Amino acid sequence: MNRLQKWVYGNWSVPIVSGMLIILSFAIQWLAGGVADLTVSPQWWLEAGAHATHAGAVFTLGDGFMLAAAVVAGYGIVAKAVRALIANVIGIDLLVSVAAIGAVIIGNFWEAAAVTFLFAIGHALEAATLNKTRSALAELVAVAPDSAIVVRNGEQQEIPAGQVRMGEIVLVKNGAKVPVDGQVVSGTGAIDEASITGEAIPVEKIKGSQVFAGTVSRGGFLQVLATGIGADTTLARIVHRVEEAQDAKAKTQAFIDRFSRWYTPAVMVLALVAGLISGDVVLALTLLVIGCPGALVISIPVAIVAGIGRAARNGILIKGGEFLETSARISAVAVDKTGTLTEGRPQLTDIVLLDSALDRTEVLRWAAAAEAGSEHPLARPILETAQADGVGPHGIPGTVTPVPGKGIVSDVDGRQVLIGNPPLLEQYNVPDDGSAAQAAKALAADGKTPMIVAVDDKVIGVVAVADQIRQDAPEMVARLHQAGVEKVVMLTGDTRLVAEAIGTATGIDEIHASLLPEDKLDAVVQLQQEGHIIAMVGDGVNDAPALATANIGVAMGAAGSAVAVETADIALMGDNLLKLPEAIGLAKRTVSVMRQNIAIALITVVLLLAGIFAGGVTMSIGMLVHEASVLVVIANAMRLLRNAQGSTEMPKRERTTEKGAKQVTA
Amino acid sequence: MSTSTTTRTVLRAEGFSCPSCVAKIEKQVGHLKGVENVKVHFASARIEINYDAERISADDLVAAVAKAGYKAVPSTF
Repeated sequence: MNRLQKWVYGNWSVPIVSGMLIILSFAIQWLAGGVADLTVSPQWWLEAGAHATHAGAVFTLGDGFMLAAAVVAGYGIVAKAVRALIANVIGIDLLVSVAAIGAVIIGNFWEAAAVTFLFAIGHALEAATLNKTRSALAELVAVAPDSAIVVRNGEQQEIPAGQVRMGEIVLVKNGAKVPVDGQVVSGTGAIDEASITGEAIPVEKIKGSQVFAGTVSRGGFLQVLATGIGADTTLARIVHRVEEAQDAKAKTQAFIDRFSRWYTPAVMVLALVAGLISGDVVLALTLLVIGCPGALVISIPVAIVAGIGRAARNGILIKGGEFLETSARISAVAVDKTGTLTEGRPQLTDIVLLDSALDRTEVLRWAAAAEAGSEHPLARPILETAQADGVGPHGIPGTVTPVPGKGIVSDVDGRQVLIGNPPLLEQYNVPDDGSAAQAAKALAADGKTPMIVAVDDKVIGVVAVADQIRQDAPEMVARLHQAGVEKVVMLTGDTRLVAEAIGTATGIDEIHASLLPEDKLDAVVQLQQEGHIIAMVGDGVNDAPALATANIGVAMGAAGSAVAVETADIALMGDNLLKLPEAIGLAKRTVSVMRQNIAIALITVVLLLAGIFAGGVTMSIGMLVHEASVLVVIANAMRLLRNAQGSTEMPKRERTTEKGAKQVTA
Repeated sequence: MSTSTTTRTVLRAEGFSCPSCVAKIEKQVGHLKGVENVKVHFASARIEINYDAERISADDLVAAVAKAGYKAVPSTF
């Protein structure tokens, strides 16, 4: 309530009072045939010539009220203009001030009152609506936790969230906000991570899980070790990224900035020259009013602020206006297969025995021993299965030498073990009678990844792992096409057969298989040479060169990685594939709003100019149209804050629990 | 020149409606004794200020921004 009062009396008191005075003035002049319109003084203003709007040659009571209206509405504008002038800024306030004061000097009290009144009311509306376009960011800032429960000296204490010390244990109870970034050390619970990832469904947390400041517990009880506080939390990083993104100037914006720097002074000069040539003071003043650059200078920032803010609320971080512009032109998307199209958690599916002297368990044992020191994602399913079967490796792993794109060479108890594809066997001169290659081929035909195991120059068997296709991968590809992407391309180090099995299932347009990291880069460059604007989605180290070369580098599941949040052109906080088409769609919508806004602003100015020289556009009409155009531009940008169809965002009420809670206690 | 007490703070402001607000606030805050530099971001409505915490407080900065006609709150991060 208090805030509402402040708002009414702060922003709206001036236009309200001014408007009432205008009404009063008209009432006095017209009611009872102007009987009440007493003469106050003789004419003291300058003769305006042909365009004079003042009927009589005396200053009446009605004029007095009209003048008062202009003073009430114009006082703040003139004060702002003076302050801006002191700061060497020739702004819109100055144009309006000169026009209004000029109108008073020539006795056009109605025009002066109308111009200042409209400007004041327009300004109040602009301030309110512009704040709305920034609402997405404000919500993010509001998500920041204010208090934390820590255990100190064996007691629970409630302290401000900013005072939690690194390495302290904080307690997260049901319904409370997580106050810090940290790791769960005990307990279980469900956390609503909508504020960070834009995902509506709460995430189960167990010992060892990562939690983020600003997310909300929806059940359970967690003890969390603080690993990031205050400015060092994912939420703070997101807020900073969004702010920087909103401030980053798009190319178009830089042009508009340069343009508006000389535009306003140029309008003043134009008005002066036009006034001197025509000898028509009213024309000059009208030119001043309609030359206000309002709609043009804010047309792009409002669109960018709204677009980037909306994206952030949906767990999509876009680096800035320039990247929005580029994203809107994306015609090809390259995705890494593993972890994007597939779950990225391969399971061991087959063990083929090729050495009759051994058994299948032996093959698994050798494979596991060789992979023990490997960092490769394909090592994990082998090791997990071996451990489950009781043949897991013991002691210290031997040295592992990765051979990119081919496999690994490992030293196990002085014996050389190879795990990889046929080219690896060739490189190390391991003979194969064809059975290994054949077995590998058969497995690959089923979309599995075969790995030939050889010990000391003898092939002993083939193991195969397969990755599950992610449920929403086909949907993502379809939606990318809907968003206007011509080509979705799969880049993978896997064999063509595996890649094709996945590609067919997901609807991928083009497959580049058996790629080394540098080949991925070449594939991206090749697409660019074909004239594509390409976005590359990746997560791993081996995608880094391709990500950097692509026009837009997209990081998936970035919430857990500070580096990804800082560096990716587009960071998708959650791990939801459908965020990618959504990001591209939103970029397209934002850019079209930017273009519409510039068009609206330019057309308005051109029409008004034409209207002045053709006659018919007065100062007050000019101001009305001008203010209307500014509001239209803002309203147009605000459309971006609404979610488009198929958006992945959760319902709003889900994340305003905090405010609701506060209102109850107030 | 000692920078030992230089503090950087970010104010988040409300009611930025035109880019000319920027220069106004930069002037108004920049004139204060103890303020080393000030940068106003129009789009995100942020005011970044480096100042000497021994000579001027964050509250003084908020007051200066208020004098220029805008409400601002110091941010926690």
